[in-house]
Amino acid sequence: MKAFVERHSPQLMALPTFIVLIFFSLIPFVYVISLSLTDSTLARPFNDFIWFSNYKRAFTDEIFGASVINTLLFAFVVTSVQTLLGFVLALAFRGERKLGGVLRTLALLPLFTPPVAVAMIWRLIYDPTSGLINHYLLQWGVLDRAVGFLGSPTFAMPAIMIADIWQWTPFCFILSLAALQSLPTEPYEAAAVDGASAWQVFRRLTLPMITPSIIVIFLFRFLIALKVFDLVFILTYGGPGSVTQVVSFYIYKIGFTQFKSGYAATLSILVLILISIIATFMTVGRDLILKKQSS
Amino acid sequence: MELTRSEITESAVQQKTMGQRFGEVVLGRTVRLVLLLVFAIGVLLPIFYMGTTSLKEPIEIRETGAILPSRDLFIENWFRAYRNVPLYRYLFNSTVTAVVSTAIALLIAVPVTYAIVRFQVGGKILPAWILGTYVMPPIVVSLPIFAMLRTVKLTDTLVGLILVHSMANLPVAVWLLDSFIRAIPRELEEAAWVDGYSRFDTLRRVVVPLIRSGLVATGIICLILSWNEFLFALILTYSDASHTFPIGISRYEGEHGLQFGEMAAGALTGIIPIYIVVLLFQRYLVEGLTHGGVKG
Repeated sequence: MKAFVERHSPQLMALPTFIVLIFFSLIPFVYVISLSLTDSTLARPFNDFIWFSNYKRAFTDEIFGASVINTLLFAFVVTSVQTLLGFVLALAFRGERKLGGVLRTLALLPLFTPPVAVAMIWRLIYDPTSGLINHYLLQWGVLDRAVGFLGSPTFAMPAIMIADIWQWTPFCFILSLAALQSLPTEPYEAAAVDGASAWQVFRRLTLPMITPSIIVIFLFRFLIALKVFDLVFILTYGGPGSVTQVVSFYIYKIGFTQFKSGYAATLSILVLILISIIATFMTVGRDLILKKQSS
Repeated sequence: MELTRSEITESAVQQKTMGQRFGEVVLGRTVRLVLLLVFAIGVLLPIFYMGTTSLKEPIEIRETGAILPSRDLFIENWFRAYRNVPLYRYLFNSTVTAVVSTAIALLIAVPVTYAIVRFQVGGKILPAWILGTYVMPPIVVSLPIFAMLRTVKLTDTLVGLILVHSMANLPVAVWLLDSFIRAIPRELEEAAWVDGYSRFDTLRRVVVPLIRSGLVATGIICLILSWNEFLFALILTYSDASHTFPIGISRYEGEHGLQFGEMAAGALTGIIPIYIVVLLFQRYLVEGLTHGGVKG
């Protein structure tokens, strides 16, 4: 027995995780695939086997199409802004131990605030009568009438993006700062000896050395941003119309408020496929960029 | 441990030289102070505004959105927040869920991460699978998880939510612990094997003590993630018996729409403990985030 444990201890160490993966990943996956081929409701799962009817329906479902585009747009915009802002801030404070430390402490606060609370804070800020933005814009004469930002087709999406940028820019800042501070010093010393200008140092040293880290930060953040749910749930509930409809929220609505679990399962599978494709493309793209850079 | 210390001194040297040469030239100190100020205001204003709103009378909130209250401070919101929604119960539920699910996640994550790093268990598939479960939106597995928990009568119970939170935190824990375990010199473990330690003993007596700061960092991040989690709590709990704090703050909708004053007070009581933990353990949090974060 003892010998068996010792020989197979690496496998035994992985066993609990394996069980978790079977119950929370493999079985759910099989379940969702089979459910997606049926006309199920939450009360009556696996009701009628209908082959690919749900899939046909999904491809003509305009709201689902809109939610896919909204999700991609949301993720792309917030990730770009956050990565850029975070990097610029990190670049400015990389040499400042004290100020950089203060900034990093501040940065932890939004990052760890419950997303529901973040959404509530911003719902208050955007409110037409009780909110900060309308109050001061009216007072300063920028607006002559209160604007319901979250109910407006133009402003609703940017409003959600701003809340997300508030929460996640700190993440990109903290990681960029750490990446910058772990760069080797020798090239900089050599550049100083050669009398390189600040721009040259940035363009020829910092940028090439930091690019791999920035790409990793961007990819990671992008994939996480695709999961957006809480902000939409609290701020706009997908509206007005389906202007802020995103995939996670749409699946929730179909599955848990309209109880059409068969169709929700179908949408889940499509989202799974879509995200797998995106993740694959992004990692391949990253490897290509890095290869090109090193050659 | 030695490794991290030498890393720290190394980066201190870099900061000095780079700060003097490059940073100072591109962006002057004033520009940086302005940036700092803008950033600080940007981060703190929304939180501060929530604080002042929690001290405004409902009538005042309905009329104006000024940052500071113009009338007497209205503490009543803080009592109403607890009277109108059973927030104590929710905070209790959140605490239990966060603590127990974090303990479970760590117990499962430490051995598997060690097995992956040291013995390449599961080759490339296992780590990719674990990371994949984190990248996928939780909503895509919510239907089967709901169905499974309902079958074993665990919906609307803390036990059910704890199980789901542990599994949701598992990939995060593995991902964070990975770099800490990787940093341990292999020789230490090999010496332990020579001394007759079994692999489990080595993990318990050699590896775990060496990654203590990694465990703290991972534990706190998992605690906060569970405390903040909304989607599963929304789907799997439907009564006060198992509602958690995030569900609580979404429940201040009254007859006159959202009661901002009470909501702000209620939300702050759940946010302030997190901020205290974050400030107390910030060194660990930053280490945890950056250790795992920037690797390829």
